[in-house]
Amino acid sequence: MNLCVDLGGLKLRNPVIAASGTFGYGEDYIKAGDIGWFGAVSIKGTTLRPRAGNPPPRTCETPSGLLNSIGLENPGAEVVISEKLPWLAQFDVPIIANISAESYEEFSELAGMFAQSSHVAALEVNVSCPNVKAGGIAFGTSPEMCYETTRAVRQVWKGPLIVKLTPNVADITSIAKAAVEAGADALSLINTLVGMAIDIHTMRPVLGNVTGGLSGPAIKPVALRCVWQVSQAVSVPVIGMGGISSAEDALEFIMAGASAVAVGTGLLTNPEIPRKITTGIQEFCQAKGIPALKEIVGGAWRQADLPSHRP
Amino acid sequence: MSLRELVDVDARIVSVENLRGKVYKTAMIAPEIAQRAKPMQFVNIALGNSTDPLLRRPFSLSGIHPGSGIIEITFAVVGRGTQIMAGWQPGQQAKVLGPLGNGLDLGGLCLDHGLILVAGGTGLAPLLPVASVALEAQVDLKVFYGARSADDLLDTGELGAGCQFYLATDDGSAGTKGLVTDVFESYLSGLGTGDTGRPTVIACGPKPMLRQIKRICKRYGLPLVVSLEERMACGYGVCQGCVVPSAGMKHGYYRVCTDGPVFWADDIDLGECTT
Repeated sequence: MNLCVDLGGLKLRNPVIAASGTFGYGEDYIKAGDIGWFGAVSIKGTTLRPRAGNPPPRTCETPSGLLNSIGLENPGAEVVISEKLPWLAQFDVPIIANISAESYEEFSELAGMFAQSSHVAALEVNVSCPNVKAGGIAFGTSPEMCYETTRAVRQVWKGPLIVKLTPNVADITSIAKAAVEAGADALSLINTLVGMAIDIHTMRPVLGNVTGGLSGPAIKPVALRCVWQVSQAVSVPVIGMGGISSAEDALEFIMAGASAVAVGTGLLTNPEIPRKITTGIQEFCQAKGIPALKEIVGGAWRQADLPSHRP
Repeated sequence: MSLRELVDVDARIVSVENLRGKVYKTAMIAPEIAQRAKPMQFVNIALGNSTDPLLRRPFSLSGIHPGSGIIEITFAVVGRGTQIMAGWQPGQQAKVLGPLGNGLDLGGLCLDHGLILVAGGTGLAPLLPVASVALEAQVDLKVFYGARSADDLLDTGELGAGCQFYLATDDGSAGTKGLVTDVFESYLSGLGTGDTGRPTVIACGPKPMLRQIKRICKRYGLPLVVSLEERMACGYGVCQGCVVPSAGMKHGYYRVCTDGPVFWADDIDLGECTT
């Protein structure tokens, strides 16, 4: 059973990736789970300078979902490159560096810094964070800005380049096409959906930052639809994410057109989820006689076999 | 390579007892956790296989019994998660991740002049194992406990006998009528000038109570440790959701789950500047 995946040059042993923002830089995760079950890990969104993040409360549970507004809390690129990555590299799992910035110039500078690190297997450009005032999601809401951002990074980063898209747009395929045109080797989708919750007793928004990003099983149908649309509109591989918490969920994304999947919120509730998903995919494929995972990528695209006659 | 310090076990529920009102106590068999846990550590409990409610619920351990492998959790029904737990039947299993957070090592505190525990509501729960250890070590222990009413009180178990115990309820249905913070302060103000020793204080309860305790301890020059309660998503450090500002934001935000839940009160900002 071959679970290997090639994401525009980024080679994975299995298709399950730790989604950025729910894995930190691995230090806490290893106390609860086994990194070896990930095909790759995407580190917490990193910015040029350290960020303290948003004021609490930062999370709020919603029906089958989770709202968060962490606000890209991270120690800054310098610390990540000099301390976090060398440590994380010991586990021999490909590291995807997720980067976020407030301008094209800053994206370019960040990409240049990560290009100097020997530990980065791929760069994931976050043009979809809903929780920061400057930049963030703005870069991913227009094809032009997404193109410029991707191009700025592409010019300094020669390795596999992934662009992470937001679902908070009218037409995600136009944004996806712009990223690919500018040189993206793969696309991650989706980031969280902007949402909010209100405490009726205090008559105030629950989150300190008022709005936050919705994740978890609640957003799975939206994510699946985005993967379905984008994977058929572009020629590069897609990493599907959004509410995946079982092998069945992952298989749905793969059949919708994802070459690999990422788990985020699922990791928060079950640190051992990558093992569960990977072994579940393996068992499914074995039972169905599927020799390699890539055989079923986009498997749901094909025309349904409709009966020619109805009784 | 396994670097796991935490275990995620299928704990069997031994009992679920309604102590009074909305207060429940559950005992479950989780030897791997009971044998590792220190006082003031917590666990994150999955409520079932449903995605709604989605997240686990964090609870400090109110009882740690390495011998029998039993851990105890005392909780008040405040929402859907605790409602589900109140309906658990003996024999049922629940996924329990732990032990989480930094526990408290009493050896690291100066207890020459005694130990004072101040608890509000279910904030007493994590202090019960601390009290057990302190009593065993024959530390001079005083406990101040406040709750809304007699109906909201946790089981104080052996505390009554082994230490000086002060009880207050908002409505006066048990103990002194009023706030535990006032009882605590009047105790301190009643001390003679000859009492120069400074006991260490450990407090757990709602934020407004902790703020007040912090003010009082500052006034009397008492070292204060607080254990924070916070809503959490993961409980093990990866989501960065359960944060508290460091004092003066000098060190940004601390995560309550992995940097705490036990802090020196001086290291964190309990919101005293804004209230």
